[in-house]
Amino acid sequence: MSEKYETHVNAILAECPDADPKDIAEAFAKYETEFYIPPQDAMRSILRRFKGEQSVPTTRSPSQGGSSAPRNTKKVSRLSELNGNDKEVEIEVEIISHNMREQTIRGEQKQIAFGLLEDNPWEEKGDKTRWEYKDWGPSANLAPGSIVRIEGASVNEYQGRMSLNINQSTRIVVVREGTRPVVAPGEPQDINSLPSDGYVCVVGRVLASRPDQIHKKDGSGSLDIVRGRIADESGTIGFLSWEPFDHAVGSLLKIDGAQVRTFRDTPELNFGRTTKVEIYHDKNFADADSLSQQTVLTISELRDGARDVDAVVQITEWAKRSFTRDGEERFLWSGQIADPTGRCRMSAWSELPFSEDQLPMTVRLKGVRVRAWQGIPDITVDNVDQVEILDATPWDESLDLTNHTAEVDLHDLATGASRVGVSTSAIIVSVREDSGFIQRCTECRRVLRDGACAEHGPNDGNSDVRLRLVMDDGRSSVSLLTNKAATLALLGMDEAQMKAAVDEDGQMAFVQTLRGTLLGRTVKATGRTIVDEQGAMMLADGAAVVEEDAGMLATELRAHWGVS
Amino acid sequence: MQSSGRVRRQPAWHMLASEFSEATLNEKGSGEYDPSFVITKLGAKVNRVIVAGLLERLEVRETSNGSTLYQGQMRDPSGLHYFSVGDYASESMRELTLSLVEKTEIGEPVLLLMTAKSRWYQTDEGAVYTSLRPEEACEIDAKTYALWLTRACEGTLQRMKTRNDSLSAEPTAEGLKAAGVPDNMVDGLLLSRNHYGEFDTETYTLNVMQALDIAEGRMEAASQPAPPPQSTLDDAPAAAGASDDDAVKETLVAIIGQLDQGDGVDFETVLTNADARGIDRQLAEAKLDELSNEGTLHEPRFGWFRIVS
Repeated sequence: MSEKYETHVNAILAECPDADPKDIAEAFAKYETEFYIPPQDAMRSILRRFKGEQSVPTTRSPSQGGSSAPRNTKKVSRLSELNGNDKEVEIEVEIISHNMREQTIRGEQKQIAFGLLEDNPWEEKGDKTRWEYKDWGPSANLAPGSIVRIEGASVNEYQGRMSLNINQSTRIVVVREGTRPVVAPGEPQDINSLPSDGYVCVVGRVLASRPDQIHKKDGSGSLDIVRGRIADESGTIGFLSWEPFDHAVGSLLKIDGAQVRTFRDTPELNFGRTTKVEIYHDKNFADADSLSQQTVLTISELRDGARDVDAVVQITEWAKRSFTRDGEERFLWSGQIADPTGRCRMSAWSELPFSEDQLPMTVRLKGVRVRAWQGIPDITVDNVDQVEILDATPWDESLDLTNHTAEVDLHDLATGASRVGVSTSAIIVSVREDSGFIQRCTECRRVLRDGACAEHGPNDGNSDVRLRLVMDDGRSSVSLLTNKAATLALLGMDEAQMKAAVDEDGQMAFVQTLRGTLLGRTVKATGRTIVDEQGAMMLADGAAVVEEDAGMLATELRAHWGVS
Repeated sequence: MQSSGRVRRQPAWHMLASEFSEATLNEKGSGEYDPSFVITKLGAKVNRVIVAGLLERLEVRETSNGSTLYQGQMRDPSGLHYFSVGDYASESMRELTLSLVEKTEIGEPVLLLMTAKSRWYQTDEGAVYTSLRPEEACEIDAKTYALWLTRACEGTLQRMKTRNDSLSAEPTAEGLKAAGVPDNMVDGLLLSRNHYGEFDTETYTLNVMQALDIAEGRMEAASQPAPPPQSTLDDAPAAAGASDDDAVKETLVAIIGQLDQGDGVDFETVLTNADARGIDRQLAEAKLDELSNEGTLHEPRFGWFRIVS
């Protein structure tokens, strides 16, 4: 052993002549075998140990500096602070317009960009000044609607007019991406890349159209409208026309000046008085049949507020319920549906042509609506014509969808809609300090804080167990809440053992033990997700640490990437 | 139809110390709660990392305002992470730090894994340092360390490939997306290409190979002999061969090449950077002279050095 580490032992001995070479060699062996630290990396730690109290001087290895000679930058927040001969200016502005033109400079054709920018970009209604700018770069980071930090521009003053010159060495940092991409009016856009609000022009084929009425909330009457759906090859979108609209299904239209409004999570085109709708001629435009394929959605693709949705699903549970409205008994049918991408609920306002003992039933849904309850999409069937019973399932017949869970990438879960019946695997990067035992409000199950519920005030609460974790795949993260069963399964403990661990060591030490077993490990969790603007959350009823073999993974990596 | 996404939690990058510590570029939005990022040479835009290694040092520093700050360093096969734990850290993190201080004092080896926020600062001379603020950490065993190593290697290899694919693409967001660069790398790659220019990724490949040796349990392959005892024990890998005249010259040229913003690099900055890489100031001074005489370097003005191109 001493031979193996000879050079390292000698290096330590040079600094600590009194140390026992055998002890030093043993220390190196321990680092290597128990901790996977090769001797050159263990050197400093071992040296520290044998030097004892003596402190080892530590120097930081600096990386290469950004700029050795700091520029003489003039950093301002308002354009009015600038003078005609300022150089190396730094300022944050919003790009109002951005145009390109070719210019001949010293006999050479060159692209330059120009437009308007505006200072004070962060204040909603503040005082703002606009200047023209020229970008000689031109930089790819300048886009209308974006807020950028311009570092190293110079001011140009010509006949009393001030403008900003941006050149090739100017740095443009995009602080906020453009939120209103500016498209020339009259220029059709792809339906799947429409903004979530604003006026647009599209060319699309009518897939559905039916008259409807909107009842004014104040009871003063109703408005005749037309609802429908149009599509191009990139996607489909619902529309609502406030003006008469009599184009038949299948017509190809150019619609200019339609307004996009987002209803719940679903954007919709609104046609009003200023919208120009005209017949468009394009022999190569896809026909209605192939375009309507796009309206067939899977359960994972359902979004709150969507209309005219087609889907093929399996009904796994179905029951009739009655309720009373305006003194009259009414009926509602509801139950569970599933497809290979997940599960959700469905309700129908009329009886569907099958009985409970025929379940599971595979059906094609046409033109149904989507609403969400607690973030989970829920299909509504308004009349029986929207449901067609199929003889066979388009997926593997043997797939039991009753308790089926779809395996989904964490990134897809984090960026998709709320879903039921999903599982995902990712690395645990956080174990929150309040993981473990909690008290829930006896009224509403909210977690009590300092013995009190935010809604129902102080109460004794019911004891429950849950973990608050964060799982992360390097691109997205999802906060993971495990219920009691999932927690105990994940930790391999029963409740009594867990209670003993917390009582014995205290909450912080317990959390630290959890981190020791979970941080950096892959966990597979099963349950439902809730996705909103704050991010994604998974409520898990099952969770397990995925056993992985680092040696195998490393060997696979070598093979896959060709590093050997 | 994208949501703002600004309040969303930033993902954690699995990253070796060399990639993080070599970063010299940062970005900070102007809003109070905007996340700040360190942009690495390989184009990762890092707000949070998950890193692991041998806890090599952890000491308390009393600060001038009376608060307590623990400073530590953690070593993985590619280099060192510097981190600090202050009064702002969570209760669990501070408790753990106290117990780790005890262990390092008695020389007990500790393998640590942490999720941490990236930090960045620049000295007056222009040298840039990155460091970490751990959010959560725990002691791990060699098995978990090996798993982390493979993930950090996979991340590094993936970023090297993405960067390589992006080199032939047009340097715009659309150009990179068209070349298949994933969304989360587009911004960072554009920034890194602008700031770092061309560089050799060979050292990252070597880091990965060594880390994979360790993950596979092939410790023999991952071990290197100690440098001759007379040389200083230093942090930077470059110091291993620092006694070699040519290596010193190479390092100096590399420093000047990287720091030069067009006007050359001043004498003091060169020496400070060389010193930090374990090159004695006097030796560096002598070698600077030699390089100038050889014609490798020239002085456009007194005390400012440039590479003769």
